[in-house]
Amino acid sequence: MNSEYEMMMLEDYIARHARQWPQKTAIVCGEERCSYEELNRRASERARALRDTGVRPGQIVCLRAYASIDYLTTYFALHQIGAVVAPLEQDMPETAFSRIASQLEGYEAPEGIADVLYTTGTTGKSKGVMISHRAILANAENLIEGQGFSQDLAFIVSGPLSHIGSLSKIHPMIFLGGTIILVDGLKDINRFFSAFTYPAHKIATFLVPAAIRILIQLSADRLAALADRIDFIETGASAISQADMEVLCRLLPKSRLYNTYASTETGIISTYDYNNGHCIPGCLGRPMSHSKIIITQEGLIACKGDTLMSGYIGDPERTAAILRDGTLFTSDLGLIDSEGMLHLRGRADDVINVGGFKVSPTEVEDAAMGFPEMKDCICIAANHPVTGKALKLLVEMAPGIQLNKRAVALYLKQRLENYKIPMLYEQVQRIARTFNGKPDRKHYQQRPFE
Amino acid sequence: MNNDMDNMKEEIRTLLEDALPLVDFDSDFLFSELDSLGVTTILMLLSDKYGIRLEASDATPRNLKTLESIVAMVKGKLIMNNE
Repeated sequence: MNSEYEMMMLEDYIARHARQWPQKTAIVCGEERCSYEELNRRASERARALRDTGVRPGQIVCLRAYASIDYLTTYFALHQIGAVVAPLEQDMPETAFSRIASQLEGYEAPEGIADVLYTTGTTGKSKGVMISHRAILANAENLIEGQGFSQDLAFIVSGPLSHIGSLSKIHPMIFLGGTIILVDGLKDINRFFSAFTYPAHKIATFLVPAAIRILIQLSADRLAALADRIDFIETGASAISQADMEVLCRLLPKSRLYNTYASTETGIISTYDYNNGHCIPGCLGRPMSHSKIIITQEGLIACKGDTLMSGYIGDPERTAAILRDGTLFTSDLGLIDSEGMLHLRGRADDVINVGGFKVSPTEVEDAAMGFPEMKDCICIAANHPVTGKALKLLVEMAPGIQLNKRAVALYLKQRLENYKIPMLYEQVQRIARTFNGKPDRKHYQQRPFE
Repeated sequence: MNNDMDNMKEEIRTLLEDALPLVDFDSDFLFSELDSLGVTTILMLLSDKYGIRLEASDATPRNLKTLESIVAMVKGKLIMNNE
């Protein structure tokens, strides 16, 4: 592949496709369709309008990342004028949205930055991860080479466009001139399945492990009926169980099924087709062409290459703690086998990965401790029949007070994004703490969950 | 008959409120309050509890509009099982 991305950005490809195949469908969302010519025109018009309202190069603009053509038009328009997009959760509480927007008002992003994606750190403080145009195109090329994205592919994007898992699939499709089909989650399962009837030569999608579990538990027959239609399914963002991998291989024997190692900070690093007859659990394949993987002496995964973040916005200290000399040091434990393939072995910090979203238990606990009559609490990971893993809040209430878990959940909903609100609650006599008073997380990790 | 309906409604309410504490099961627009995880959880819990087969195609806005419509869906499946 000719790597020309050093002097281009994704929006240049939209203009090129608009000239080369103007009527080719770029994005489908429900009944609405948008060709490359139309997308290019709409994005240019919006860019002019945004410039007229005073948006300037380097300015960081927060957007709620709706699954819509309008959202993507604004996303591309902001890039066109050199502004930076901070895509935030659709359901983010207004107070959190305003707080991030006002924080970002004080910053001007360095040249070459395209996006600021928000992720959660170990302390619970959200971090704005700066992604450059160069990284976006390197990630796109990694996916194109590693998974066989192509111009005649229609890719179904059903996850949040504020998260790297779904946003990163927009990029190779625009790069190549393929068709993106937007579906707002799996709630309307019939709409999700109808997306597979789109008249494209090949169809693919990205699903987090929890979504795969939902489909194989409730719609296995419908999934199997698509065996001849689905070119590939990528999963990632959190661990998929061996059982779910095997079921999916059985339902879709002809499709490529990828398990990918990626994070907001590292970008798309490696991928493994587990429908290759071996179906190795925890295997994440070999690094892609723009990426290198190193395992540190402590067993942690470190990455190099053009896909890495440029740093945390306004936080040089945190950036320096994990990004040094072009190497990004993650908190993921891994090993590389004799065939050069990466295997994930867990995390070295307290962050809990739920359905691809990283949640700091400290942030949940801090928010919950404001609830009246709550004496102590700890947020832990627990098994869940649908998602595989879910947040659970163990609560110690004041003497004589019964836990009202709905009241606690609603209280948290006012303060946290939905994915950070525990699904499971239990009242306990006492929260275990270490000798120096910190929550004893190891004690609960060893606890057998029912 | 009404007593049976009321008993089942309360049984289902307790079951679902326990699993989905954020959801208001008194809402007349229940489907719009649910996300994909909520829909799946409801189908799976009711399938297990009543020994019926609920599939994704049952997750329609009509079937999940209110707690009463959920109860009606379960009753309908139970009748089909018995036939």
